[in-house]
Amino acid sequence: MIPVFLWLLATIDSAFIGYREAAGRNALIDKRAYYRRALIRGAVVGQVAVVIVGVIAAIILVNSNDAVALFSKLESVGARMLTIYVPYALILLITFLVRAVPSVDIRSITSVLIFGPFTFIRPIVVLAGAVWGVLAAPGAITIALTLLIVCLMLGLGGILSWLRSRGLIS
Amino acid sequence: MNLATIIRHGPEISDAIVSFDPVTLQRRPVKKADILVQFRELRNHEAVRIVEQMPELDGVLDPAAVDKVLITSHCEMQRMSEEFQHGKRVAELLKPILNALREGGVNNPIRIVDIGCGTGFVIRWLAASGSLGDDVQLMGVDFNVALLNEAQRLARIENLRCKFEVANAFRLAEPATVFISTGILHHFRDESLSYLLQQHCRAETCAFVHFDFHSSPMAPLGSWLFHAVRMREPLARHDGVLSAVRAHKSRYLLDVTRSAAPEFVSAIYGMRLWRMPIPRVFHSLVGIRPKYHEAFLSNMGTRVASLGKIE
Repeated sequence: MIPVFLWLLATIDSAFIGYREAAGRNALIDKRAYYRRALIRGAVVGQVAVVIVGVIAAIILVNSNDAVALFSKLESVGARMLTIYVPYALILLITFLVRAVPSVDIRSITSVLIFGPFTFIRPIVVLAGAVWGVLAAPGAITIALTLLIVCLMLGLGGILSWLRSRGLIS
Repeated sequence: MNLATIIRHGPEISDAIVSFDPVTLQRRPVKKADILVQFRELRNHEAVRIVEQMPELDGVLDPAAVDKVLITSHCEMQRMSEEFQHGKRVAELLKPILNALREGGVNNPIRIVDIGCGTGFVIRWLAASGSLGDDVQLMGVDFNVALLNEAQRLARIENLRCKFEVANAFRLAEPATVFISTGILHHFRDESLSYLLQQHCRAETCAFVHFDFHSSPMAPLGSWLFHAVRMREPLARHDGVLSAVRAHKSRYLLDVTRSAAPEFVSAIYGMRLWRMPIPRVFHSLVGIRPKYHEAFLSNMGTRVASLGKIE
């Protein structure tokens, strides 16, 4: 279940990266279709990142002397990462539910108290989860894989912006 | 932009890099060196760095490059306005005012003019929502042709019923019934703020609503955080934070308004949230002619709790 949860969080996170990357670039009033495309694009690019990590992890496991023990190590790292990422995601999810209330003031407060500050601390949360995870099973492989995950999580927005600057997305 | 290095005095970059003749509204050339000297004297190194990057033609800032940066910045500001539900916020305050004017027999159409509308987000949002009624004409005015062309382009794409004009808001052929603005007041200091408000005193004008950053001890930090995570354009980041720092105190705004525009009763809307001293992102300076005052208060319903004392 741990890999599934990590995949789910990665997909949601990357969808919102797609949203953030697209935000502030389109000045029309009705942008529902624009943001829908941005969310899907982010989630799709996130799948590429997931596949990269998955393939590398699979290659390492196949070539390992003790694949079961290594998989268990990776799972323990993932489980510890979830203890940081799940509460962060849950708070955001609950805030989205609060934002559904059709009140200008309530919606503004969700941004002031949660969405803005949580976007600001996201890189710290990503790093904290990674460090906390690696501490469960320190080793060259777990550190390298976690580092790759961190780079992808923090670099996805930049990749999307690069694609935009090349005219590959609009 | 480093929060510790915000310069509290002096202009925002967007004010310094454009200049218009107040009578002809023609754009005047802006010498890059003059702007750099101005910001260096203010020790605003961030602004110096940003202006240094701007292209010049024979020592004059390239107007096309400046306009491009301004349009990008306005687009990013619109994102922030959308996040903070600004269109809906404006509509919620305008509705009780407009109803009070209708009840008071104001002749149709009611003209709402957005002063310094930029790319016209508020006017376009109001037009798109259709929430103010068919008897309302929406118009945005600004001195900057490029920003207004962008506003018109966007309005055309979405087939919105609103107009944009390069004009002085107080010298329109069809005068405003209600003036509105967003993020404009803090650009006017001392005498010029007083002069701006004096110009509302014309027979056709029944009310005004000016939104601006709510000055509070937390505002600079909050603004810095939001501009750090939401804005990409360095000019937008710089000016956004400086705007919050330079926002006028509510008391000051009221004092200036009551002195400059005594024909109106005025109040600050949004000083408190749910009767609690929770700081808000925006507050608004509301002015209305006394004959519509009672109807306005009555139409406000429960929102009247967020309105300061009107006098």
